[in-house]
Amino acid sequence: MHLGSKLRFILALWLGKIVFILSRMAGKQGTTLPGSIAMKLCPDLIAHLAGQLAHGTIIVTGTNGKTTTSNMLASILRKAGYRLTFNQAGSNLITGITTVFLNSSNWLGRIQTDLALLEVDEATIVKIAPLIKAHTVLVTNFFRDQLDRYGELDKTVGMVRDSIARHLPEATMILNADDPLVAQMGKRMKNVVYYGVASNKYSSFTSEQAREAKFCSFCGGEYEYQLYHYGQLGIYACPNCDFKRPEPQILATDINLKGIDGIEFKLGDTNIELKHQGFYNVYNALAAGAVAINLQVDPRVISQALAEFAPQAGRMEQFAYANSQITLSLVKNPTGFNEVIRAMVQTDRALGLLIAINDNAADGRDISWLWDVDFEKLVGQAEWVVCSGSRAEDMAVRLKYAGLQSSILIIEKDLSGALEEVLERMQAEHAVYVLPTYTALFPIRDLLSKVRSHVYAS
Amino acid sequence: MRLKICHLYPDLMDLYGDRGNITTLVKRSGWRGIEAEVSKISLGQAVDFRDWDIVFLGGGSDREQGLLFADLCKRRDNLSAAIEDGLVLLGICGGLQLLGKYYQTSQGEKIPGLEILDLWTLGGTKRLIGNVCIELNDLQVQFPTLVGFENHSGQTFLGQVQPLGKVIKGYGNNGQDGGEGVQYKNVYGTYLHGPLLPKNPHFADLLLSKAVERRSGNSNLRKLDDTLELAAHNYMLNRLKQ
Repeated sequence: MHLGSKLRFILALWLGKIVFILSRMAGKQGTTLPGSIAMKLCPDLIAHLAGQLAHGTIIVTGTNGKTTTSNMLASILRKAGYRLTFNQAGSNLITGITTVFLNSSNWLGRIQTDLALLEVDEATIVKIAPLIKAHTVLVTNFFRDQLDRYGELDKTVGMVRDSIARHLPEATMILNADDPLVAQMGKRMKNVVYYGVASNKYSSFTSEQAREAKFCSFCGGEYEYQLYHYGQLGIYACPNCDFKRPEPQILATDINLKGIDGIEFKLGDTNIELKHQGFYNVYNALAAGAVAINLQVDPRVISQALAEFAPQAGRMEQFAYANSQITLSLVKNPTGFNEVIRAMVQTDRALGLLIAINDNAADGRDISWLWDVDFEKLVGQAEWVVCSGSRAEDMAVRLKYAGLQSSILIIEKDLSGALEEVLERMQAEHAVYVLPTYTALFPIRDLLSKVRSHVYAS
Repeated sequence: MRLKICHLYPDLMDLYGDRGNITTLVKRSGWRGIEAEVSKISLGQAVDFRDWDIVFLGGGSDREQGLLFADLCKRRDNLSAAIEDGLVLLGICGGLQLLGKYYQTSQGEKIPGLEILDLWTLGGTKRLIGNVCIELNDLQVQFPTLVGFENHSGQTFLGQVQPLGKVIKGYGNNGQDGGEGVQYKNVYGTYLHGPLLPKNPHFADLLLSKAVERRSGNSNLRKLDDTLELAAHNYMLNRLKQ
């Protein structure tokens, strides 16, 4: 570095660190402001810091499961002895990532960790890829999410693909073979490892769900599916050209979903046990495992770290109440919501629900995605549904048209009022789920924590 | 009675929950004892639009709209004749644009449309996104307003056809002239997603009554309990009027 740029780097670093200390003193989280100020002074600050990492950088991107997958991977890597720079708070925009790097460095600008694990938003990867020469990029899946922010899905996928191919041509891509939108990225890259889920008792031969990517990325032919795991994830082939689901090198088999008792499956020859519910968590653990295997982490370490891993805040998190349990799960797009519904109806118990839909920027201002969720599956099993959040009425309308009786729908826009409605109706035989969008999650989680202490300390 | 509803290109044009419009038409018919039969018609499938009561065409991404255009062109004369005969058609977003003369991209390329309606669309660089409410022009409905969510970069301009309504809040056809959507005979085009019909039950009933009237000569529909639907409608209306 030239003396001038070295000076600018140190100044930016100090300024960022000071702002971080000040925002903490002011009682703020300080997740984005320090990074954003430091970046103004030295736009390539993270490049200087990431360049010092002895074991380089891993990027995790995609639509669903990024946060769970990166947290699982972080547990594995820490257990394997790595010292991580990790944007844990789910702050996956570039300012948040810069802040995390600031905090991993000492005042002389020397990085104190040896490996960076970055959960990166689909729109942010374009900014990160030119700055940080990641050696590994994990892509989970692509679904419609917050369309109003990024434009349509085709554009998002193209943007991510082109950015990686251009800036990180040497990176090892760890790709979900079962998602055609992800797998097609492999054709442009030199080093690719595919992971996937084998045919299993939960696979289906038809898909009624709104699917992305019905048409081949290379020739426009309509994919033919041998079977579906969920959404567009499955075993597919294009009838017109040679593109088909690549054979996964890392495969999940023998899957067993045990409701609130968790999940077990085999990752290659290794038995994996999770405390989580929901089929999609097989993919999250598989993706984390695939990266770890590729880094030569001992399979026993992977299995142990995953077994100890508790679900995060609001991802099928359990709260004990009276003789029963309340499960809290974030909902943010049709695919995720459909998977939660799939887990709920598997319990075979009468369902009591609280669904809280907000439409702030972080939730997505357009709530039309609710019409792509299969609420029809709840008919007969749902005994009451409390609709809350700023768009409670829209939620109630959706449920009415899904075939639920208006008489079991309760509108209570206020979250704490809505939770009271739940506690009043709750009986021991009910399976009770609380399903908020992003900005309703933490307020409702606080309310639940006050009601009773929860089962997992997460 | 039986109503025949045609969902055009549901596999290509189903952005933004627009399938909710079909659900609404089916449910609101069923609650009145009218059986509604939905056929999904996609690329290459034979269809005679004169057989149908209601046709729905939603929006898709640019690539998908390109895929279906050649197919739709072959159906143009048949569709146009059915429209002149009073076919009820709801076109949303891409569905509205395709009925017009052309779509000119921001690079200046002119993509021809069906030329059934006197309107055209210019591709913009800015996306017009947000909640929207409009006041309907001259329609005999219970409430004068529609609410929805718009998300489009194309700006549509009307020639010798009437807009569906005028914008109270939001962008509408082009963000400039205050017009929203288009109406011609029983054809209704709009940029309103949301989806549109569930929280505008009076408008859903307008489409149904036009279709029933064309079939039986009587446009009367039994009144339904729309408490929830109107609560959703009024919530957004009040929020946008503030």
